[in-house]
Amino acid sequence: MTSVWRRQLRRISPFLFILPGALLFGTVILLACVETVYISFHDWDGMGAMRWIGFGNYAELIADPQFYVSLKNNLIWLALFMLAPPLGLALALLVNQQIAGMRIVKSLFFMPLVLASVTVGLVFGWVYDPNFGLLALIVQAFGGEPPALLSDENTVTYAIVLAGLWPQVAFCMVLFLAGLNNLSSDLIGAGRVDGARGLAMFRHVVLPQLTQVSFIALAVSVIGALRSFDMIAVMTAGGPFGSSTVLAYQMYEQSIFSYRFGYGAAIATVLFVIMAAFITWYLLMMNRMERRG
Amino acid sequence: MAHVELANVDKYYGHYHALRGIDLSVDKGEFIVMVGPSGCGKSTTLKTIAGLESISSGRIVINGRDVTREEPGDRGIAMVFQSYALYPHMTVAENMGFGLRMQKRPKAEIDQAVLRAAEILRLTDQLDKRPKALSGGQRQRVAIGRAITRSPEVFLFDEPLSNLDAALRTQMRVELSTLHERLGSTMIYVTHDQVEAMTMASRIVVFNKGIVEQVGAPLELYANPVNLFVAGFLGAPRMNFVSVRLGRIVDGTAEVAVDGGPTFQVPVVADLPTMPPGATLTLGIRPENIVLRPASAGTVPATIRLVEQLGRETILYVDAGLLKASSSESGTANLTVQTAEPRPLHTGEAIHLSLPENALFLFAPDGRRISRARPVFS
Repeated sequence: MTSVWRRQLRRISPFLFILPGALLFGTVILLACVETVYISFHDWDGMGAMRWIGFGNYAELIADPQFYVSLKNNLIWLALFMLAPPLGLALALLVNQQIAGMRIVKSLFFMPLVLASVTVGLVFGWVYDPNFGLLALIVQAFGGEPPALLSDENTVTYAIVLAGLWPQVAFCMVLFLAGLNNLSSDLIGAGRVDGARGLAMFRHVVLPQLTQVSFIALAVSVIGALRSFDMIAVMTAGGPFGSSTVLAYQMYEQSIFSYRFGYGAAIATVLFVIMAAFITWYLLMMNRMERRG
Repeated sequence: MAHVELANVDKYYGHYHALRGIDLSVDKGEFIVMVGPSGCGKSTTLKTIAGLESISSGRIVINGRDVTREEPGDRGIAMVFQSYALYPHMTVAENMGFGLRMQKRPKAEIDQAVLRAAEILRLTDQLDKRPKALSGGQRQRVAIGRAITRSPEVFLFDEPLSNLDAALRTQMRVELSTLHERLGSTMIYVTHDQVEAMTMASRIVVFNKGIVEQVGAPLELYANPVNLFVAGFLGAPRMNFVSVRLGRIVDGTAEVAVDGGPTFQVPVVADLPTMPPGATLTLGIRPENIVLRPASAGTVPATIRLVEQLGRETILYVDAGLLKASSSESGTANLTVQTAEPRPLHTGEAIHLSLPENALFLFAPDGRRISRARPVFS
């Protein structure tokens, strides 16, 4: 009797172990995704009855000029965030040197990582302040007119991206530092014996060993750029006149402030499709790389 | 003139004195094998010759040129690593040609050098593959091929066979010896495997705790180890060591006695250290030199504790109560005997051993051998 029970237990125990995680992932991620898509086909204020309108939200989205502003800003975020991996690598190479006091420098570079992004946004908001900000002081010291970066619709997105890049570069630096720690000393040795040094050593021996880390840094930066939200919320709330908004922020703004959950869900779905396309490409690349060794 | 010369090389890691005044001179075309227990400094020495490790003081000369401060790539050496250290993103051909590419040689020359090395190592079918697609033995050959294409003054090998299985290791050992004969290059080889050392070396360098204990031809080291360490390190199974008491020394022959047991006459060297009569010395005898005999005067009674049948020969771990091993590693068994006795031997069996006096080694309290040197082939 007990042996039968035992055998059954052994058979189901893997499922029991997976169950809590599966349950959590299922409700919080999968179900939420499916429900978002479902909501996007409705006109809904978040409380009252839901009215089925088919692709109505999407038709409106295509005609909405604000949507294109958000999309364009997302592209700017994406393009500039591609600077994070190379800058992170450069910093990692710099602080990886065996020089006295480098630990302190390293921890200074780590700092933005431990700060909440709201804090980073707030600090940069002050730096950009045209009256008392650090930037204004510097420009004035050179006798210039302090720019109001955050109130100018041409500069506002770039100014926020710069703030967002700060922790992103630090994050990439940490990734590359870990990668540099894992370099095979034998491979470096083989490279030195083969006469590779300086740039040739970096290009032919070091960089190929960092491919995996580079891919992770790239993915983290792309996802970070696409879901940028908190900095915008803190620094400009999408302004002036919605010129610094991105898809994630527009979704939030439409759902929470305009009570248009259906429309917000449609924006979320578009963002989801963009991310899914990227992740598919990413997995394909990873897969191919693994097969090549 | 020496092809590779290390003069008074010292290496510190912080306060740790890793290499203590290493002097070594290697002739052109020699196959030098450096052996020793782990942490003895053999790999460190190899890396200092390669230039992968700097030295704290001393001088390294390769082919008449002081290379102490030179980069590895400029020293005219090539190195084969234990982990193979192949560039994983390059093909076999690219791996082998990388050194020449770094020297900015023309492509035709590189291709030709790679092809020649691939032919020597039977790798011509693998040139377009990446290291990942190769077996361990093939990877090792690519690593050797990478060394050959650079046509170096000196080949350095850092335990290159230790990641291969036993059969492949034997095969690669033969291939490396053949390669050495074919290229006639100077090779310096680090290993902890004494079979590799005995079979491949022109000369063996025995390291211990950062110093060189002895340098010499394999059989010379086997026949005439300078001290207890070398005697115990070379030879498997290991030499037996027994504590004895010094009696009289007459006409260059020392009489030593086991307490309450037999006495032995051992010819000794002329320049003996001063030793009081009754001093405790160490008597050494290799397992293959102990003989099983019927009981008679001069034989030592013993009990078999463990039998290892190897086919052609048998290893016995025996308890010869009278003989006190100076360092016992296997419980009550204190002697190892290697015998070709044709009859079956069993655990618990009582036997009698004879220790031929012409096979005995005698070591002074400070470890140095004081029994007289004997010809390598006797």
